[in-house]
Amino acid sequence: MTIQKPLIISLLYLLSIGYTYAQEHTQEEKAQAFNPSETIIHHILDTHDWHLTDIPGKDANGQKVYHSIALHLPWFFYDGGFHFASDTEALLEKGYVPYHDHLYKLKSGIEATDLRIAHGEVEGFDPERMADEHAHVIDLSITKGSLQMLIIGLLLSMVFIAVARSYKKREGQAPKGLQSLLEPIILFVRDDIAREYLGEKAEKYTPYLLSLFFFIWFSNLFGLLPINSNIMGNISVTAALALLTFIIVQVNGTKDYWRHIIAMPGVPTAIVPLMTVIEIISLFVKPFALAIRLFANISAGHFMVLSLVSLIFIMGDGGKSIGGALGIMPISILLTLAILALEMIVAIIQAYIFTLLTAVFIGMASESHDDHH
Amino acid sequence: MENIGLIGAGIGAGLAAIGAGIGIGRLTASAVESIARQPEMAGDIRGAMILMAAFIEGVALFGEVICLLAVFK
Repeated sequence: MTIQKPLIISLLYLLSIGYTYAQEHTQEEKAQAFNPSETIIHHILDTHDWHLTDIPGKDANGQKVYHSIALHLPWFFYDGGFHFASDTEALLEKGYVPYHDHLYKLKSGIEATDLRIAHGEVEGFDPERMADEHAHVIDLSITKGSLQMLIIGLLLSMVFIAVARSYKKREGQAPKGLQSLLEPIILFVRDDIAREYLGEKAEKYTPYLLSLFFFIWFSNLFGLLPINSNIMGNISVTAALALLTFIIVQVNGTKDYWRHIIAMPGVPTAIVPLMTVIEIISLFVKPFALAIRLFANISAGHFMVLSLVSLIFIMGDGGKSIGGALGIMPISILLTLAILALEMIVAIIQAYIFTLLTAVFIGMASESHDDHH
Repeated sequence: MENIGLIGAGIGAGLAAIGAGIGIGRLTASAVESIARQPEMAGDIRGAMILMAAFIEGVALFGEVICLLAVFK
């Protein structure tokens, strides 16, 4: 209990910060025609509001509207100095407008009388007319994806610190419980990925490879659940992981490794300049491919699931044709279940491939001279 | 005429899917044949097949990502 208590307290603290800002969205949205591409894009992209659900109700005139329940995450950005806004309405009052993934500062004379509709998108904002060109605002806020990453990090810490403690407590005994569940997987990463491709240097990199594997796997699995955010479907996250791989590979490159890139021995001198260019390009393409492979696989799965579910709404003509919706429903739901099952397999396979290629690149870069020739 | 890029995106996505289909089809054909020849190696072959299918699919998805970029720009 001694390790878990502070972790549980920090998790509760994190959730309570979000809860303080959870408000019932007083701006109701009328039942609009269903726009599939907009809905799909909205579900894939990262937002500053964690939208939980919509509750149908009636407004003052008796019209049917939807009250949306969302956690409004605070804004934290840098514009000369650090600024803080508790949600998007407060941000508009401060004179900054988020529009199309960019934070604009309003010109001095213009007031923010824009409407906020469609889950937090700002309408009626014209960047050319209303934005201050000289301001460069850097957005540093904790968005839905960042918060999800923190939660998964906390979950990973709790799980693995518990497993480590039970290894210490049960030294010499058979594993039990969570430890016995994770032991085959941990040993698989250590033996078949780290020791296989890194040889004697495996001990140095095994912690990083294990963290990478379990972070990617858990993120992919949690992204499949409703309400959660899909962090590996965000190119920034996969690019950051690929950048870490790139840095580790370059820092651990031996002289042999650089020799093979700049002027590969055993090649006729006429071709050496061409080989150098190709090798330098491949130096950057390999981590880039890592990032895109993970991003595209996970995004494609989510895209397919969202498209299949949207089929029901398209066939039901946005709520007008119940027969159409009921007709397509069995097919759509069966296909969605099949794709979700495939996505669960893809979750662990992509984690395995990312970790495997990282180990292979590190192994190739840090090979000592005797192993090769 | 302004939406002619969408035609390109559609054709590109279809071609990427064909590429993935052919590649994984050939892979599966030889994998299943070798399992039939030597059933005791089925576990190893199945593992290798799934891993390589993920790589081939990765290449096809690079193409899909480009097509998506063409649609949403």
